[in-house]
Amino acid sequence: MGKKVLIVDDAAFMRMLLKDIVTKAGYEVIGEAANGVEAVDKYKELQPDIVTMDITMPEMDGITAIKKIKEIDPDAKIIVCSAMGQQAMVVEAIQAGAKDFIVKPFQAPRVVEALNKLSK
Amino acid sequence: MNEQYLSVFIEETREYLQLLNEKMLSLESNPDDIEVINEIFRALHTLKGMSATMGFENMAKLCHKMENIFDLFRNQKAFVDSEIIDALFAGIDTLEKMLQKILDDRSDEMDISDLLEIYESFYSRASSGVEVQKNGVEDEDKGTSFGNEKAKGSEGSTTVPISIEESVLNVIKEAIEEEFKAFYLKVTLREGTMLKSARMYMVFHKIEEVGGEILKSVPSVEDIEDEKFDRTVELIVVCKIAKEKLAELIRDISEIEEVNIIEIDSEKLKAQVFSSEEKKEVEQGTDSKNPKTSQVDRIKESNVTNFSSKITQTIRVDIEKLDTLMNLMGELVISRSRIMETLKKYQIKEIDESLAQLSRITLDLQNIVMKIRMVPIAFVFNRFPRMVRDLSKKLNKEINLIITGQETELDRTVVDEIGDPLLHLLRNAIDHGIESKEEREAKGKQPIGTVKLDAHHEGNNVVIEVSDDGRGLDREKILKRAIERGLIDEASATTLTDEKIFSFIFEPGFSTAEEVSDVSGRGVGMDVVKSTIEALNGSVQIESVKDRGTKVIIKLPLTLAIIQALLVTIGDFIYAIPLVNVEETLSIKKEEIKIVEKKPVIYIRGEIIPLTNLKELFQLPHTESDEDALNIVIVHSGTRKYGLMVDELLGQDDIVIKSLGKLLKGIKEFSGGAILGDGSIALILDIPNIVDNLQGV
Repeated sequence: MGKKVLIVDDAAFMRMLLKDIVTKAGYEVIGEAANGVEAVDKYKELQPDIVTMDITMPEMDGITAIKKIKEIDPDAKIIVCSAMGQQAMVVEAIQAGAKDFIVKPFQAPRVVEALNKLSK
Repeated sequence: MNEQYLSVFIEETREYLQLLNEKMLSLESNPDDIEVINEIFRALHTLKGMSATMGFENMAKLCHKMENIFDLFRNQKAFVDSEIIDALFAGIDTLEKMLQKILDDRSDEMDISDLLEIYESFYSRASSGVEVQKNGVEDEDKGTSFGNEKAKGSEGSTTVPISIEESVLNVIKEAIEEEFKAFYLKVTLREGTMLKSARMYMVFHKIEEVGGEILKSVPSVEDIEDEKFDRTVELIVVCKIAKEKLAELIRDISEIEEVNIIEIDSEKLKAQVFSSEEKKEVEQGTDSKNPKTSQVDRIKESNVTNFSSKITQTIRVDIEKLDTLMNLMGELVISRSRIMETLKKYQIKEIDESLAQLSRITLDLQNIVMKIRMVPIAFVFNRFPRMVRDLSKKLNKEINLIITGQETELDRTVVDEIGDPLLHLLRNAIDHGIESKEEREAKGKQPIGTVKLDAHHEGNNVVIEVSDDGRGLDREKILKRAIERGLIDEASATTLTDEKIFSFIFEPGFSTAEEVSDVSGRGVGMDVVKSTIEALNGSVQIESVKDRGTKVIIKLPLTLAIIQALLVTIGDFIYAIPLVNVEETLSIKKEEIKIVEKKPVIYIRGEIIPLTNLKELFQLPHTESDEDALNIVIVHSGTRKYGLMVDELLGQDDIVIKSLGKLLKGIKEFSGGAILGDGSIALILDIPNIVDNLQGV
């Protein structure tokens, strides 16, 4: 059985796209969240192995969500999804404990590489 | 992708090409000067690296082949002759063309096969004679070094390719004493990596996570944060974990293409980089024995950059920013004048003091801003030796070009504009002015013609003189042409001064050349020279003596934007007269005006100065004033003086010249407008034009 992945993004389209890539790479998407609050709840509920986390989201942004999740589970493996030009945000996310980042528009091999590195 | 570096690349390449041109010229006169050969070699090498980094492979290739030739010279396997010099000059020209092409359409595609063939055959001819030596190897060595120069020499070697300051060295030593390990790390990102600085941050983060400390990074952390790096970052790190483990951890980060790691042994390190000076010498000394030239080259390369930064510490600023600064400065000057104007009414003592200070500061600021925009005229002058060389070769005349005063500084805008007019004047001097060798000998002159280019300051002006010792202007021929073209009638022709006659050559389409050569003589030119210079608020004048030569004198203002002016009223309006044109102001009695040849003049200190009523000139309503005293401003342009009658003298002020715009371009009397302290507008009198006009009447 592949590792369990939680996808967090406020855009349904992006979630769909990511889900596609993730599933094709042999991982199991066990849940989706559309904002930070949902993400933290889902993390507690589903205990995923890996989380992909968008940064800009309503309710609670990705960086805050990373910090909350890290409080719950210091070993949480989170990949930040960023747009071009969000360099400072990405650095902040890494400081908050994210393990890797991928940049939109997503290139499937990069996404898969990030997942594989984390599931080692 | 490299767009942000492109402007820097272009600017710097230009500088190198300029350097190459200069050095090639000195090489031509001194073919054995090894220092010059080395300098050219280094410049080409740097250019090669730069262009390859930018992806301009064609340019890099050309530089590479030229560099090879200089490598031969350097190692005395071939010698400089005029044939190869010409070919190398052609190479530099081609590089210039490529740069232009890059500027125009971002591509260096160009057919350079002919040149390459010449270089290659020269190279193989020279190297086949000395086969025992390691030419081929060396060439191959350099061939692979294309573009990734820096990537070499680190793997497998124990030398640390970046220089380490003594302070860092001390920290390393202490760390090693405390059982830390010190590493040199070279981390290369995968091509196309996005958010490179965040990715590099992950590397830093990882090192710090395992208790490591980064002592030095090349490029600096700031540059990395600003994404000012290509794909590679070099680090000096101390930490407690093993070499392989550290490399492994960093390799594990996504999008890392390569990690090179070298453990630094403090003893070895000390020996290597403690005294970088010594190292350089040692390395250079072993140059001929050591086929691995990369290390030496690197040092030389850094020498080149250190060298240029040593002369003056500079930063590059977009000229547009300076223009904006100048504009803002102008606005500030206007605001200051307005405040002073307003506050004058109230006579508050405390404010006077601060106002005086404000004035002083703005004045200082203004001077600084002006100076920032100043560049030495060498920027233009440096182009000429090469042009003169080519032209004299082509026309088979021997020319000695003497350049003086190239350190004279001028506003950047002026420097940019003045290049073409000067080029034209020089061409004229060489093509028309200087006679052929035979002709010169027949006249009893030196067979080698002299062309002088000089610049110097004169008050608030910069004077540039282009002179030659050639045949001089042909007064009769010019006069004949002027009459033919109806510029003057035959009757009055006899009374004209030389100066007036010579000034005809500035008329559009005026050429006395019988044949049109491709160098000059097409009649487009001198008028353009004049209009360009006048557009810069300058003036141009010609002096010429038959068979002795011609001198063209150009006067330019130091700066264009802010000038000192005398404010006067004429009728109901305020006008500004640039202070540079003002000789003196006088108050005279009406009866002092004399009439000579039906024109009013005054007689001052033995000099007769014609008078003009500006009201008449500007066609303003005027009545014979019955006031006894009249205000006169004596102005000069060139050697001519005029007295202008004005109503009132208001005083002197700094004014900011604003252009009148396209619609009013045809107006000759005014060079622009200015906003005054009280918000009103004054027109600025264009004295040279007004004087010209009056003279013509």
